[in-house]
Amino acid sequence: MVPGPDLAPGSAGSLGPALGEARSLIESCGLRFEPGFDDLVTVYEQERLVACGARAGYVLKMLAIAPSHQGSDTLGELVTRLVQSGLAAGQDTLFVFTPPQNAPSFQALNFRLLVTQGQAALLEYGPGLPAYLAAHAAQITPGRNGAVVINGNPFTLGHLHLVEQAAARVDRLFLFVVREDRSVFPFAVRYRLAREATAHLANVTLLDTSRYAVSAGTFPSYFLKRLDALSAAQMQIDLCLFAEALAPPFHLATRFVGEEPLCPTTAAYNQMMAQVLGEHGIGLVVVPRIESGGLPISATRVRAAFRTGDFDTLAELVPPATLAFLRSEAARPIQTQLEEV
Amino acid sequence: MRIRSKASAGTMQSSDLMVVVEPSDTLRIDVDSTVKKQYEHLIRAQIGATLEQLQVSAGHIQISDRGALDYAIAARVETAIRRAAKE
Repeated sequence: MVPGPDLAPGSAGSLGPALGEARSLIESCGLRFEPGFDDLVTVYEQERLVACGARAGYVLKMLAIAPSHQGSDTLGELVTRLVQSGLAAGQDTLFVFTPPQNAPSFQALNFRLLVTQGQAALLEYGPGLPAYLAAHAAQITPGRNGAVVINGNPFTLGHLHLVEQAAARVDRLFLFVVREDRSVFPFAVRYRLAREATAHLANVTLLDTSRYAVSAGTFPSYFLKRLDALSAAQMQIDLCLFAEALAPPFHLATRFVGEEPLCPTTAAYNQMMAQVLGEHGIGLVVVPRIESGGLPISATRVRAAFRTGDFDTLAELVPPATLAFLRSEAARPIQTQLEEV
Repeated sequence: MRIRSKASAGTMQSSDLMVVVEPSDTLRIDVDSTVKKQYEHLIRAQIGATLEQLQVSAGHIQISDRGALDYAIAARVETAIRRAAKE
């Protein structure tokens, strides 16, 4: 086959009026059309739509190819446009979920298989995981290490307690802060508050999760706080990815989580975690929550107190760094945002 | 020629390759290929020859190849670099 023309960057076209046509093709392939994407790209042949696919951030979705064109190199053409769309938007690495039987078609396009779990395979294209691990290679130390993954929205005394308990039981504790910016406190703030609150712990190393734990790519429904079969499958993918992609290079023998009496999504996630990690020979330690005023300390409580400006309560729920931030001018927009929810 | 900005060229279709180049202080070449096991050394040699010809000594060159022939590699790499070298 002769390679197609090289499209100038940015020419991976979005489309307006053809949206209905794309939707029909997507649905005829048995996929659900989901609004909420950044770009929709199309491949036409003799004025007929033969393939389309969407990109939401770094996640490719709704890839559909007309039956007449399946098995040809139409996927290559479609993915070319999606990759160009990603590059134009600054997304070097792209994720795609697909049934496991379709994984080889993507691997033939130099996608890297990250994990296969049940009915879904997760693959990535671009620098991805090897680049992430290479960037952190200097921070990896041998031994029996542990991991804590937090969103830290924002960092509380509960998080601090969890980190202290965990750090005391391992050689090195990697504190992964969720990179995804879908919470009211932006990543830069969540990361900085976690770093300042744990600076006194010599064997704690802070990392961002990049796309590899609790992200839109691995676990979008965490941010939706909703439980169904789909989110259960996503939790499994997220946990398998942690166990297979992150645990071996970081020498992670144990993951620590806070006991979860309040949030059903997190509680179900913790329960599944014990099972999946156990299957991979990784221990799970559930650390009881500490309480304040007879109730467990949680970021949800902190946000509620912050919304009403109850700084007396906040002082009992968060470490000094977080309290200082909440009192600062920089936190005003976040407070306003919470009031609007 | 100097890589001043990020640029790309090529496609992910069979017998073609996609090239992404970015500015960097050092020269780094990453090759992904469906025929990496057999031909990585030849792909790298072709990229090296093209970079030398264009007098490029620094940059991050990422290649995603699907079995492209030498002339396709040379053309795609050159195109990406010329795009990246524009003022």
